[in-house]
Amino acid sequence: MENVSSSGKNKPSCACGCAATPANEPRRGFLAKATTLVLGGAALGTPLIVGLISFLNPLRQKTQAGRFYRVATLEALPDDDTPLKFPIIADRKDAWTLHKNVPIGSVFLRRVGPKQIKALSVICPHAGCFIGYDAAAGGFLCPCHTAHFDLDGRREDPEDSPSPRDMDTLDGVEIRGDEIWVKYEQFQMGIAKKVVKR
Amino acid sequence: MKALCSWIESRTGLCGWLAACGAARVPGRVCLCRSLPFVLGFAFVFQAITGIFLLMRYCPSAASAWESVYWLQYEVQGGWLLRAVHHYCGQAVLVLVGVQFVVMILRGAYRAPREFVFWCVLLLGIVTLGLLLTGDLLAWDENSRSATLTRVNFLQSLPEVGGALFKLAAAGPEFGSLTLSQFTTLHALLLPAAFLVLLVLRWWFARRATTVEAAEAPAGSPYWPRQVAANLVGCLVFLTVVFALALAHGTTGDGRGVALGSPANPAEFYEAARPEWAFMGLYGMSEFKVFGGGGTVVHIFIAPSIMLCLFLLMPFTGRFKIGHVLNIVLVVVLLVGDVYLSYKIYARDDSDPLHQAAIRQSQLAAARIPVLIRHHGGIPPEGPLALLRNDPKTQGPALFKRHCATCHDWVGGAADDIKAEESSAPNLFAFGSREKIAGLLDPKQIAGDEYFGNTAFKRGKMVDFVREMFSDMEPEDLEDRNLLVMALSAEAKLPAQKVIDQKDAEQIAEGRELIVDYCTDCHQFGKSGRLGTAPELTGYASREWTVGIIANPADPRFYGKNNDRMQAYAESDDETKNLMTNREIEVLTDWLRGDWYEPEGSGQ
Repeated sequence: MENVSSSGKNKPSCACGCAATPANEPRRGFLAKATTLVLGGAALGTPLIVGLISFLNPLRQKTQAGRFYRVATLEALPDDDTPLKFPIIADRKDAWTLHKNVPIGSVFLRRVGPKQIKALSVICPHAGCFIGYDAAAGGFLCPCHTAHFDLDGRREDPEDSPSPRDMDTLDGVEIRGDEIWVKYEQFQMGIAKKVVKR
Repeated sequence: MKALCSWIESRTGLCGWLAACGAARVPGRVCLCRSLPFVLGFAFVFQAITGIFLLMRYCPSAASAWESVYWLQYEVQGGWLLRAVHHYCGQAVLVLVGVQFVVMILRGAYRAPREFVFWCVLLLGIVTLGLLLTGDLLAWDENSRSATLTRVNFLQSLPEVGGALFKLAAAGPEFGSLTLSQFTTLHALLLPAAFLVLLVLRWWFARRATTVEAAEAPAGSPYWPRQVAANLVGCLVFLTVVFALALAHGTTGDGRGVALGSPANPAEFYEAARPEWAFMGLYGMSEFKVFGGGGTVVHIFIAPSIMLCLFLLMPFTGRFKIGHVLNIVLVVVLLVGDVYLSYKIYARDDSDPLHQAAIRQSQLAAARIPVLIRHHGGIPPEGPLALLRNDPKTQGPALFKRHCATCHDWVGGAADDIKAEESSAPNLFAFGSREKIAGLLDPKQIAGDEYFGNTAFKRGKMVDFVREMFSDMEPEDLEDRNLLVMALSAEAKLPAQKVIDQKDAEQIAEGRELIVDYCTDCHQFGKSGRLGTAPELTGYASREWTVGIIANPADPRFYGKNNDRMQAYAESDDETKNLMTNREIEVLTDWLRGDWYEPEGSGQ
């Protein structure tokens, strides 16, 4: 289709003289077509592959969860079994930016004995909304799709609940002196099994 | 399969169109030399694909542009390669368009019936220059910001409309976040769209021109599949060149691919700022005032506009034989002139010590900043420059030059020596080290230029004392002096001497007793001696001591009323009244003491 000749006169239209001797009609063989397709695939595939390598980089990145954080002191918790929401203060890495001492998430803490604390993740296992404490009902309520949980985080109506599992308990709770330390973890949403998100 | 094809064909007509394209014939044999336009189209697709992937990771704002490019260059797997191939392919596109343009003129192919093809190629060249100019800014490093700023500043030299044009181009009165956002839109959306439209038009016009010619030309070879294969071979050759350039700086290390400079600093202008090579001829034309005293307007706006008009008119002037010859002469003259002016600029810069020093300084900062970011664990919200500002290794020399090098040398025989404007005070290189203190206690050196030679202390008590004590020494005196040197230098707690200070702990303990014997008639050391006559030796040259003497050398703890000429840099408690902030003094002190972070295994 492309022609670099300036006119149709009988002079070479090309520096290499290829137009001077018209070749015989080449056979449109399978081999030629296949070679062309392979070459085309290689040419287009190269930028795609280079781009995809970078594009897939997020798969190598991990969440910040899995470490113990000091969340509150024992005095800060009421003596009855009312749960209170506490922020987790830590260094947050957002891509390249390092934010020092900022809230990276929240947990519910509830006193079940003088020195016994239970911790629940505030993140609803259904779609990741933040669950609230419903004082009137004496339990937890997720505002997005009205999943009800009792104080231990169990679904009120397991058959009908939008949530596929009970609220996620954070099992790493340690009392160090009068400080409450919690191993902050996040879990994969939307499935019946509690799987740590990495 | 047949049914599917005929269904698609009946609805879209695509199959027939493709078949018609494939059945088109090229005059003569299939040839690699005919693949240039196809390769240009491929290069556009390549840039579109890599560009989209880049855009997914790029944040166009002054607070995050450099950071996101940093992230791509240093943290994302293959990110540096993606940047590098996009960068070099962009440069290569300009070469492709340029070659097509020149070949068309040399071979007279810009004339009837190909006038529109020629204009398309000309406009493609201009759009490519626009893509290079806008793309250059996006990394938002020192050079890209400063060089682009000067180019946009040229708009201000236009009479009447200059100020308004600048504001429109920069999307505000100053270069900043909105400039980046506007340049990103131009670079990633508008200009590529224009490029694509021109490519399609070019292809359309060329096809028409071929049909016009085909009536006269003998039947050639079919386009599909052999010419397509030849075109694709051309694409792969092109790719090989692009990847060879991208990989030229290796595949490991911070400098791989296209180096990222240190982040743009709105408070400073990068002294070695230069445009990319594509604009170097234009820069040279204006630098060397090819058109006399016409100034910026003539060199940057009028002359290129006239050239553009000449190019646009070429299809008409080329109808006459003399016109065609003149067109060829014009292109050759411009090409040679561009190469010559670019060469002159490069030659001038290469032999300009100030330019080279600015580049070295910038490279040091650019190499340092990833180290600092990794050490910090990320970039603080205040930006990467905050890390750099508190870094003794890179900021120390600048602070020393500004505040100390009026009198003090910092000369240790290395390339980064700092020579005083008028050396009239001790050389502060390796201050507090054993070698330095050994020289101070050497009767031959203490009154020399390296120490007190150019100061009021040349005829002071310290010089007399050293001459008296250490001039004709017995071997055991020599040993005493060695211990004194070790003990006094250990007071500095220099990071570089940590190992030998620990190893020589016994001698140092002995030396500390000798300091009390020898020095405390004038100096205070620990509980012995008193302040007011000479500088305190407790913690001599330590961080705290050095910060103190810089803050106020006339404090009784240091030279007191005997202070020679040294200024107090932080006499007042109110930092705003002082010559240096406390933080600056700390950075300077850390640099003097060689006390800064180096990653393990860096050999420092």
